[in-house]
Amino acid sequence: MDIQNTQSQMRKGVLEFCILSIIRQGEVYPSDIADKMKAANLQILEGTLYPLLTRLKNAGYLTYRWVESNSGPPRKYFVMTEQGLAFYNELGKTWQELADAVATLTQTNNQ
Amino acid sequence: MKKVININFKGRVIPIEEFAYDILNKYVESLRKLFANEEGKDEIINDIEDRIAELFAEVLKKGNTCITETDVNNIINSMGRPEDFDDEELKASTEKESSQSSYQTYSSNEPKRMYRDENNKIVGGVCSGIGNYLGIDPVIIRVLCVITFGVTFVPYIILWSVIPSSSTQAIGSQRKKLFRDADEKVIAGVCSGLSHYFGVSVWIPRLIFVIPFISFVFRSSHFGFWSFPRFFEFSFSPGAVLVYVILWSILPEANTTSEKLEMKGEKVDLNNIKNTIQSDIESFAKKAKKFGETVGKKGEEFGETVTEKAKTFSSEAETTVRKKTKGIGDLIALVAKIFVYFIVGIVLFSVVVALLGLGIVSTGLLPLKQYLISDGWENIFAWGTLILFIWVPVVSIIVFIIRRIAKRRDNNNIIRYTFSSLWALGWVSLICLIASLSKSFKYRNNAKEEVVILQNPTVNKLEIKAKTYKSYYNDNMFDIYPFASFDEDSVVVNNVHIRIVKSNTDSFQVKQVKLSNGKSKLEANELAQNLNYNITQMDSVLLLDKGFAITPKEKFRNQNIILTVAVPVGKKIMIKGGKDYSWNSNITISFFNNNGFNLYDAYDDDEYGWRHNVEYIMTNDGLKKTENNFDNDEDNYRKKKHQPQKEEEFTPAKQTIHVKENYSMNQLLLLQFYI
Repeated sequence: MDIQNTQSQMRKGVLEFCILSIIRQGEVYPSDIADKMKAANLQILEGTLYPLLTRLKNAGYLTYRWVESNSGPPRKYFVMTEQGLAFYNELGKTWQELADAVATLTQTNNQ
Repeated sequence: MKKVININFKGRVIPIEEFAYDILNKYVESLRKLFANEEGKDEIINDIEDRIAELFAEVLKKGNTCITETDVNNIINSMGRPEDFDDEELKASTEKESSQSSYQTYSSNEPKRMYRDENNKIVGGVCSGIGNYLGIDPVIIRVLCVITFGVTFVPYIILWSVIPSSSTQAIGSQRKKLFRDADEKVIAGVCSGLSHYFGVSVWIPRLIFVIPFISFVFRSSHFGFWSFPRFFEFSFSPGAVLVYVILWSILPEANTTSEKLEMKGEKVDLNNIKNTIQSDIESFAKKAKKFGETVGKKGEEFGETVTEKAKTFSSEAETTVRKKTKGIGDLIALVAKIFVYFIVGIVLFSVVVALLGLGIVSTGLLPLKQYLISDGWENIFAWGTLILFIWVPVVSIIVFIIRRIAKRRDNNNIIRYTFSSLWALGWVSLICLIASLSKSFKYRNNAKEEVVILQNPTVNKLEIKAKTYKSYYNDNMFDIYPFASFDEDSVVVNNVHIRIVKSNTDSFQVKQVKLSNGKSKLEANELAQNLNYNITQMDSVLLLDKGFAITPKEKFRNQNIILTVAVPVGKKIMIKGGKDYSWNSNITISFFNNNGFNLYDAYDDDEYGWRHNVEYIMTNDGLKKTENNFDNDEDNYRKKKHQPQKEEEFTPAKQTIHVKENYSMNQLLLLQFYI
């Protein structure tokens, strides 16, 4: 039980970063994001995705446009904004620091 | 075979199984609750719905004819259930822990609503719910509740029935509905259904229903209705059967699977089961460990370990006790709920009956309307008052009750608003009606006293009698004062009052005053003049008309006639009434005793109570009963026996004018004001 908590905490930490990485690569809509995450072996529920995307959009890091589709309702395609890019870069730095730190620590542990 | 409905989802028509739609609905609802505090929640919900619609479209494109339950469940699983969602504050960790802290999760996500905590309940979870809502430890609330048990007992029961349980929050947990269990029935499945709803064993409600039939063992020495405070003293009454039959007719049977699931209700919460088992195992392991420790150590650690053991034991006991008391609590719940519903049912029933009666009575008075209400606005107000003010609440309450019984929870807000606005209109028309009516009654006429010529004013005795017209069709339905009878185009009103005073001559005198109201002095005078009232004397009988007729054109405007009969001292008078005539055709005897103008027909005192069919004689001090009334009342009879010589007192003596009995215009004017 406890470990699941910690695990989910860890995943939650990198969630935004991963999502932003996907969006950075190009215009994408939520369901696609979920698929790509799955392909990268990091499962996310769509229900978690939507609020997150909305928050990012409200914070100004993303924008979207509507694209009509003939098989279903219109879809939102998300793009990163400049502000979002800056935000993303910051996160990237943090991630790098984190990765390095963890690498160092685990190495020392193994020794 | 499942029912399929069409829904308009995101601008598209989607055929979907009804049960699947229910699940979808609840899912969206639970999402709404989950995101209620979230900024941009509408957008989030919108996005999710869009995604769902897209998935629906895909399902339909694949060739399915409609969205099934399976589809919806799959979609929900892929979207994720609300309780699986991680949220920023991550209180989710506490959710999995012991139930002590479970209330924290509820406070983080939704706006604070009061629920009963089903996971943390001793009796009904009310104290836990209150504790959650206020942010106080439920234990404190419980202690307060127990201390003030006598006072808080009834509110507790009420809260228990009213506050929804927290099991309705979790998605997938249908609300528990009260059904009759079609599968597990002995007679009609009422008891089984009840047992499912309250979560008690089946035999408990069965026993409760059966007890009254065998309770003659317990009953005390009288037959009677079961008195609620003394639960065990049911007498052998059909009360329980009645309740059972009522429930039988009201409750629907759980036939479809979905209904059966709803009947059994509370979500089988895997988490909870897991929790309980785990905590049990944990505590057992702890206990074992401790035990090992105490065996290993001794002496100075003994005291320590004893207290530790006591702690674990008490927490363990708490969980077990909590489980045990669940049953008792639910039993109390069951009984109390029946009690509450019964009382509520009775209250509602009597309210409906009363309103219905009022409606019928006022509608029944309809024929008299033309005599009271003038045309035009007043008419409209009258109709408005009748329909809107009186009938609308009756109809709305009946409709409400029927809806309640049929358990239709749908859009009754519109109906409520419609009915309330109609009733408000009814109030308006009532007020206008009263206003316009009072205008018509505003003015009084100028009272003029007319002398009625008597053929033979010097008789010794006068009997006052009202003429009966055998040919009148006396419709008993309109036995309403002061309307005596009801003809085709006129109504006879017997608003006639008789004053008996002492005459200042030695002959009888009769005077009459016609009074009326109207919307102007002129009209009042006219109406008064049109009153046609005949008085004839035949020897010693004074025949009066039963009443005076009022036509619809004239309208009832409180017309009345006051006759003043002056009786000389020493002469007798009797007013006939009562036995031969219906109550309504009695001439009202209004008696003004020496002091004031009390217009009442009193029956108690000998001196002040003047009765029909009683002979009186006028003396210097006023009217007194003679002793010739032995066939009327007992005390007169007794009087006769004890005072046979009384007659000598009444000698026609002085005929001086008594100042008090002065029969002057002043009194009449005062009388006018009074009326």
